[in-house]
Amino acid sequence: MTTRVRFTRLVAVLLATAFAGASAVVGAAPSESYQRISGSGSSWAAGAISSMAVNVKQFGITVDYNPTGSSAGRSDFLKGVVDFAASDIPFQFKPEDGSAPERPAAGSYVYIPVTAGGTSFMYNLKINGQRVTNLRLSGENVAKIFTGSITTWNDPALKVDNPGLTLPARKIVPVVRSDGSGSSAQFTKWMISQHKGVWDSFCTRSGRAPACGFTSFYPTVPGIIAQSGDLGVSGYVSQSFAEGAIGYVNYSYAIGSRFPVAKVLNSSGYYTEPTPEKVSVSLLKAQINTNAASDDYLTQNLEGVYRDPDKRNYPLSSYSYFILPTKVGGTFNTAKGKTLGAFAYYAMCQAQQQSASLGYSPLPINLVQSSFEQIRKIPGVAVQDITIASCKNPTFSADGTNVLAKNAPLPPECDKQGPTQCATGTGGVNSTPTATASGGATAGSGTGAGTGATTGGAADTSAGTADAAAVGGDGSGGECVPDPDTGLCPAGSGGSGSALVQGAVTTTLLSNAGGWSSSQTLMIVVFGLILLLILAPAAAWRHLSRGEPR
Amino acid sequence: MSMTMVYAAPAADLPAPTPRQLAAPAGVGDKIFTRVTLLTGLIVLGVMAAVGLFLSIEASQALRSTGTSFLTTSEWFPDRNQFGIAAVLTGTVAIAVVAVGIALPLSMGTALFITQVAPPKLRSTLVSLVDLMAAVPSVLYGLWGLFFFQGQVIGVSRWISTWFSWIPLFRVTGAEPGSPLSNQTVFTASAFIAGVVVSLMVMPIQCSIMREVFSQVPIGEREGAYALGATRWGMIRIVALPFGRGGIIGGTMLGLGRALGETIAVLLIISPRFDINFHILEAGGNSVSTLIALRYKEATGFGLSALMAAGLALFALTLVVNFTASAFVARSRSGASSEA
Repeated sequence: MTTRVRFTRLVAVLLATAFAGASAVVGAAPSESYQRISGSGSSWAAGAISSMAVNVKQFGITVDYNPTGSSAGRSDFLKGVVDFAASDIPFQFKPEDGSAPERPAAGSYVYIPVTAGGTSFMYNLKINGQRVTNLRLSGENVAKIFTGSITTWNDPALKVDNPGLTLPARKIVPVVRSDGSGSSAQFTKWMISQHKGVWDSFCTRSGRAPACGFTSFYPTVPGIIAQSGDLGVSGYVSQSFAEGAIGYVNYSYAIGSRFPVAKVLNSSGYYTEPTPEKVSVSLLKAQINTNAASDDYLTQNLEGVYRDPDKRNYPLSSYSYFILPTKVGGTFNTAKGKTLGAFAYYAMCQAQQQSASLGYSPLPINLVQSSFEQIRKIPGVAVQDITIASCKNPTFSADGTNVLAKNAPLPPECDKQGPTQCATGTGGVNSTPTATASGGATAGSGTGAGTGATTGGAADTSAGTADAAAVGGDGSGGECVPDPDTGLCPAGSGGSGSALVQGAVTTTLLSNAGGWSSSQTLMIVVFGLILLLILAPAAAWRHLSRGEPR
Repeated sequence: MSMTMVYAAPAADLPAPTPRQLAAPAGVGDKIFTRVTLLTGLIVLGVMAAVGLFLSIEASQALRSTGTSFLTTSEWFPDRNQFGIAAVLTGTVAIAVVAVGIALPLSMGTALFITQVAPPKLRSTLVSLVDLMAAVPSVLYGLWGLFFFQGQVIGVSRWISTWFSWIPLFRVTGAEPGSPLSNQTVFTASAFIAGVVVSLMVMPIQCSIMREVFSQVPIGEREGAYALGATRWGMIRIVALPFGRGGIIGGTMLGLGRALGETIAVLLIISPRFDINFHILEAGGNSVSTLIALRYKEATGFGLSALMAAGLALFALTLVVNFTASAFVARSRSGASSEA
């Protein structure tokens, strides 16, 4: 009897606690409850948006962002299956590439810029077994590479851009997007504006004509590899077999993959990289639609960016946008509007601090202020009065100028179009320089020195002394096309300097052969684990079923 | 009338030889069971019919506007009314044929080894290992294929193209066998690599069907073959293989059906292109399911209808393959009934 009483009491206590806990949760919930919201779209801006989605978790906001590509994002938004979309380009009422027009209801959506960045050209190229990190390309050459007019890396047109590099006779493999992509749209828009002839002939060749306007679906012809998403493109380019490949992705993906991006020639004659500062400077020239009554309010016209005379300009800079609903419908309701509003405020304010570290560029003050006005139009939003200074956005200043852009450093003189070329790395490998021939050309004997220095010199510091020997020794050597596997010149092709070049290369190879290290140990551990993963379930099953009769 | 009378006459003398009622009236449990199984069977059929009907209705808009050119066009611009499945369907078949071509010897060898050669102790372990392969989700195969396997299989592609490029099937545009600076990328993202990855997914299915069939080989015939002096291979050749022929063909066709529809692994690996490409080692290919997975996200209205039409073609192809497979299995000796 006593045990029973004790048991009953225990149950009662447990129940009471449970109810108390539940009521506490219910009581606390309404004031801070956020609904789970979902969005899809731009993979170009996905790095920034995913980071925002992770950071708002601390406020109890859950955002599911699916980087399916800008076209898919806009389509999902129109179908009402997501609460917001992210797109690099606005809705296409009159698509120029022959695809079906998108017809959102007027006044059912607003755009707010979410982040800025550069569409960069990530490449995988080695000279003599050493990764090239300082490639430079003029806009015309970029266009010709992606339209199949320039097909090998040693094309004379590329030599003009890269006087310090002896680019190999390797085929160029352009890697483009296979899905509907805002990056493709921005890239083709730039190409049509700046190099229309190159684009038009490609468009005709690919069977797209006469619908040769800018397109989210990059035309593919044999020789061009198409991959899905920025991640697919950067993933392909960064594979070891993809030597010679170049693809267009957001700058952040090159940083994430630890790969270099090509510096692109701007209209003032400098080759620039889409660092956050340079993008900030470039976008000062973006013409923003300031007609609040327009359907395209706050969207961008980038013609001015393409032609910006500033030395620091990166021509392929652009904003990416959130498309936010202003009417309830589909999966979207006012409860979600509250969450979406809070998320949008966070994205406009605090999130901009982190942009630069991810490879994106923070928004300037005028766009943030206009966006705050737009966020008010979301149904169910809890309007916040944010003092702009509290956002700690690196572009803000007391006098309203864009500090990030104002203080952006000028490009070094070696980035100017001409006979010199900076050795410093770019993108995800900015600490890895590539040896260039410019030093040899000024100090050495003149005509042939350029080739020699690059052949022997594309090595790390441990090969430094042999490197110098190669610079001097190969002065009279002709074109040495080294074997990519051994790094050696074919016998005799290097002329009088070939022996010295071989010496230099041997040093490099030795410095790379590290012997037993942690990576080897790790490989054995991984191998063992995989073996265990395969064998353990079967072994365990056998062990467990041993007793049963068969 | 008179005939009836003739037969009726003896009946008057003897008690009518009515057969004894053998079956007891079905109990409630049996009745329920019969109804439920019948219902589930009908539901499966109904779902199949509904899928076919749905695809046909959705596709009708697109099919009406293109007509027969749907089968001969290789481009895919539905918004310009210029689209067809010539390229994607041949690409699908190419990938599936490569997959089955690799999976067939693998699965047959594995099945024979498990049932005829392996010691009984090892048998169940091997069976669960093969079943484990079937349990791995296809996206994992795709990622593995994209980031690891593709780089490893390039050498095979290059070897085949170097020595057999005189066969048009193995020709690779842009391959320069002699050049040290030739690009590896011409061999990547190809129908062959996608096919190899798909073959690994198809193999367990084929293997389990063949294993079932080979394990039913009548023991008497096996022992008889041994008694007549056959070696183990001789026994397999004259007893096991002829007995299991229906299972081999049926399993292969079922694997083919799976290979035709494989989506995500192919999508991850292949570089889509819209021309009929028979060079299976060359970069670029396509398949119906890849096309749908790639474009359905952005498609609206007519574009979606066009994708449905492509899906309908794949559905029909898969049905034909699977029905052929089941016909083979049913007609074979091992499939019709177990005689052992």
